[in-house]
Amino acid sequence: MKKLVTAVVLSLAAVSSAQAQKTLNLFNWNDYIADETVTRFEQQCNCKVVQDYFSSTEEMMAKLLAGGGDYDVVIPTQNAVEALIKQGFLMPLDKTKLGNVKNMAPGFMSRSYDPGNQYSLPYAFTTTLIGYNENRLQELGLDPADWRIIFDPEVLAKLKGKVTVMDDSEELIAAAMKYLGYSVNDTNEQHLKEAQAVILKAKPYWAAFNSSSYIKELTVGNIWVAHGYSSDMFQARSDAREAGRPFSIGFSIPKQGAVLALDNMVIPKKARSPELAHQFINFMMAPENAAELSNIVGTGNPNAAAKDLIEPEILAINAIFPSDPQLETLETISARNSKERRFTSRLWTEIKVR
Amino acid sequence: MSRFQEKGARFLLTLPPAAYLLLFFLLPGLMMLLASFRFPGDYGGLAPWYYLEEGSLTFDLTLENWARLFESTLYLQLLLKSLLFALLTTAVCALLAYPLALTIAASPKRHRELLILLVILPFWSNFLVRIYAWMIIFSPQGALTEGLNQITALLGLEPVNLMFSSVAVITCLVYVHLPFMVLPLYANLEKHDPALLDAAQDLGASRAQRFWKVTWPLSLPGLYAGAVLVFIPTLGIFAIPDLLGGTNGIMIGNVIKQQFVESRDWPFGSVLSLVLTGITLLLVVIAGRLGRTPGALT
Amino acid sequence: MSRRNPFVTAAAVAVYAFLYIPLIVVAIFSFNDSRLNAEWVGFTLKWYRQLLENDAMLQAATNSLIIATCAAIVAGVLGTLAGVALHRFRQKWLTALVLGPVAMPDILIGVSLLLTFMLMNISLGMMSIILAHVTFCIGFVAMAVQSRMAGMDDTLLEAARDLGASPWQSFRLITLPLLMPGIVAGMMMAFTLSIDDFVVTFFTAGVGSSTLPLEIYSMVKIAVTPEVNAISTLLMLLTLVLITVLSRFSPQTLRS
Repeated sequence: MKKLVTAVVLSLAAVSSAQAQKTLNLFNWNDYIADETVTRFEQQCNCKVVQDYFSSTEEMMAKLLAGGGDYDVVIPTQNAVEALIKQGFLMPLDKTKLGNVKNMAPGFMSRSYDPGNQYSLPYAFTTTLIGYNENRLQELGLDPADWRIIFDPEVLAKLKGKVTVMDDSEELIAAAMKYLGYSVNDTNEQHLKEAQAVILKAKPYWAAFNSSSYIKELTVGNIWVAHGYSSDMFQARSDAREAGRPFSIGFSIPKQGAVLALDNMVIPKKARSPELAHQFINFMMAPENAAELSNIVGTGNPNAAAKDLIEPEILAINAIFPSDPQLETLETISARNSKERRFTSRLWTEIKVR
Repeated sequence: MSRFQEKGARFLLTLPPAAYLLLFFLLPGLMMLLASFRFPGDYGGLAPWYYLEEGSLTFDLTLENWARLFESTLYLQLLLKSLLFALLTTAVCALLAYPLALTIAASPKRHRELLILLVILPFWSNFLVRIYAWMIIFSPQGALTEGLNQITALLGLEPVNLMFSSVAVITCLVYVHLPFMVLPLYANLEKHDPALLDAAQDLGASRAQRFWKVTWPLSLPGLYAGAVLVFIPTLGIFAIPDLLGGTNGIMIGNVIKQQFVESRDWPFGSVLSLVLTGITLLLVVIAGRLGRTPGALT
Repeated sequence: MSRRNPFVTAAAVAVYAFLYIPLIVVAIFSFNDSRLNAEWVGFTLKWYRQLLENDAMLQAATNSLIIATCAAIVAGVLGTLAGVALHRFRQKWLTALVLGPVAMPDILIGVSLLLTFMLMNISLGMMSIILAHVTFCIGFVAMAVQSRMAGMDDTLLEAARDLGASPWQSFRLITLPLLMPGIVAGMMMAFTLSIDDFVVTFFTAGVGSSTLPLEIYSMVKIAVTPEVNAISTLLMLLTLVLITVLSRFSPQTLRS
C-alpha cells in the first residue's frame, strides 16, 4: 500500500514538473496553423506550444464557458469575439508588445465587433463553400458552384451517401438561407423555418454531419462533395496531389453567395502566460509567419505586409481571395441575442432528431 | 458484540460510502431535477433560479422545458427508435450468445474457464477501439463493402454503403454488448442438472423437445439478466451512433449529449436525461419482478 | 448435457470469430505502411514510433494511469466498507445507492455530475474525473467484497469472539485478510473500468486533462491515422497482461 502511494505521489510530481517549462496553450480551429510555423515559434520563444482544437464555434464556446479559460491564445471567429467581449471573458491587448500590428491591412481592423481592436487582432479569413471530387462530378455532369449540390434532392439523388455537410448549426443554416436567397443574418422565424425544411428534405441523401474529418474523407475518396472551409479544401487538394490520387479536389464559392469568416487572436482573462500570448500574437503578425497561413494552410490573409510573400497562384484562387464581385455575395455572420440563439438551437435539435 | 458496538460498527461501515454516494450520485440527480425547471443561461448552461432583490425572493422557474417534450411527436419517436434499437440489439445478442453459452456449458469442466476468458478478452479492449474496428471494416473502400457491392452488381441491385447506416450501428452495438449477454446466460446454463435431460430422453423426448421443454425454460432467468445488462446501457449510448450512424442513426443519448455539449441547453438536456432515468428505473423494477419467477436457478 | 449439436458448436465458433476478427484487423493494420486502412501495402513500425513522439497521447496515458490508480484506491476503501455493510446489515437503501450508478447508463452519471460540478463551482480537471470514476466503481468493489463475504466461514469469527477478541480485532485480523482477494479483485476491476471509461470522462474532463479514451476519440474524429491502430494494439496487449494477472489472483471475479 505504501509503495502504491509513493508511486502515485512521484508520478504526480513528475507530471507537474514537466509542465514547469514555459508552455503556450493554443486553442485553434482544426488544421488552421502549419507545423512549420509552430516549430519556428517554439524555437524563437524557447517554449512549448500545446495545441487543442475545435471544429465549430459552438464547440469552442462550450469548452471555454465550461471553465476552460486556461488557454493563452484562442482563435475565434468575429461573432464569437463579440460574444466573448460582452461576457467579459477577454483580456485587453497590450499594444506596446504588439509592434507588428502596423502590418495589418486597415480594411480588416477596427470593425464593429471590436472597435479599436482592444481585445482582438485579425488572424486569417476563410469562406465556407463546397469542396468536391472533380472527376466524379464531371462524370455526373454536376455544377458544384451552386448550393443545389447539397440541398436539391434532384441533384442529390445522383450523390446519395457521398455528401457531407458541416455539423455546425450556424454554418449549415446560413448555407440554406443563401440557397433560399435570404441573408445569413436574417432572423425572421418564418424564413429560418424554411431553411430548416430545406435541410430536412436533403438530409436523407447526406452521408453524415461532419466538421472535423471531411478533408480526409474527400482525399481518400469516400466522399465526393463536402461542405466546409476554403482552407480545409485547399489542404485536401494538396493532400490528394501528394498521395497521388487518381482524382483531384476542387472547391468553389456557390453563386448564391456564402459565409465569410474572419478569425481573430484573443487572450482569455484566465490565461496562464499572457506574456507568451502577446509574443505569439506579435509573431503571427510578422509577414513571413502570416504568409505561411496562406501558403501552407490556404487561408485568406488580412496582413498587408505578407502579401508579397504569398505565392501568386494562391492569390489567384478566388475561393481563398475572393474577387470584388464575389465579395458582394459574401456575408459575415453577426452575433445573435439569446432569444434568437435559443430559436436556432431548437431548430437544430429538430434537424438532428428527425 | 454489545448493542453499542453493533451500532457503532454499522455507523462506521455505512457512513463513508453512503455519504460519498449521496453527494456524488443522489445530489446530482436532484440538481438535475431542479435544472429541468430552470431557464437556460444566455450563453448556455443554466440561468439563476432565484433572485434576491431588496430582501424579496423571486423564483424564476418554468415548465416550458417539459412542455417541449410534448409539443410534437418528435421526441416520442426518438424514444421509440432508441427503444427499438436497444430491443434489436438485445435480440441479436441473445441469438448469438445462446449457442456460445450452450457450447461452453457443455464442454468439459477444465476447458470452461478458458473458453469464458476468451469471450471476455475482447471486451477488455478499449471501448473506442472496438468501435474503431468496425469503422475500418465498414469503410466504403474496405474489403467488406467492395465485396458486397460486387455481389449486388451481379444481382443488378444498387450498390450499398454499410458505413453510416442503421446496420452498422446495430452491428457495433451487438459487438460491444455481447459479453454482457453471454456471461449471465452461461452462469445459468452451467447450473443445469444433466440428469434432467437424461430423464427426458429416457421418457422418449426428441432433441428439440428436450431443449424447448427443459433447457429453455430453466435458462430464462439467465436470459432476462443478460437482456437487462444489454438493454439498459444500449439505451444511453451515444458514441456508436455518433461515429457510425451518419445522419439518421441518432439515439436519445446523442440528443442528450448534444444538448449538454453543443447546444448548451442544459434544462432541456436535463429533461431528456430524467426521461431516460425514469425508463431505466422502470426496466430495473420489471427485471426484478421477472427474475423472481418460480423455479429460477439464479 | 454431454451430447453436442454440431450446428450449435459451429454457431459458437462463428461467434468467437465475430468477436475476434475486428480486433485482429485493427492490430494487423497497425503495421500497415499506408494511411488508409483499406489494403495491405507493406510492413512498418513507423506508427508505433510516431506514437511515442505524440506528446498529447503520452500525457493522456499518464493521466489515465493516475486517475485509475486514485479511483481504484478510493473506491477500494469505500467499496469494501459498503460490501461488508451490505452483507452484514442488508440495508435496501444502501444497496440501491451503491448499485445505482452501476445500473444506470453512463451518460446519466456523466451529465448529472457535469451539472453538479458546474453549479458547485468545482472546476473540471483530473479531480473531477477521479470523483466521477469513484462513483461508479464503488458498486463493483462492493459486489466483489459482498460475494466474497458470503462465501466466508462465519465460524471463524465466532471462534475469535469466544477467545475474547474485540470486534475491531476480529475485523482486522480475520475478516480483512480473508476478504483481501475479493478486495484486490474489486480494485483491479475498478482500475480497468476507470482506464477504459469514455462516457463519464467525456462529460467531466476539463481542458488539459485528457485521458486515453478521450484522446483516441478525438483522433478517430479528426485525424484518423494508423497511430490509432497502434495505440489500440498496445492497449489490447496491456489488458491481456492485466487479465492474466487477475485470473491467477482470483478467478471468481471474472464471473461478477
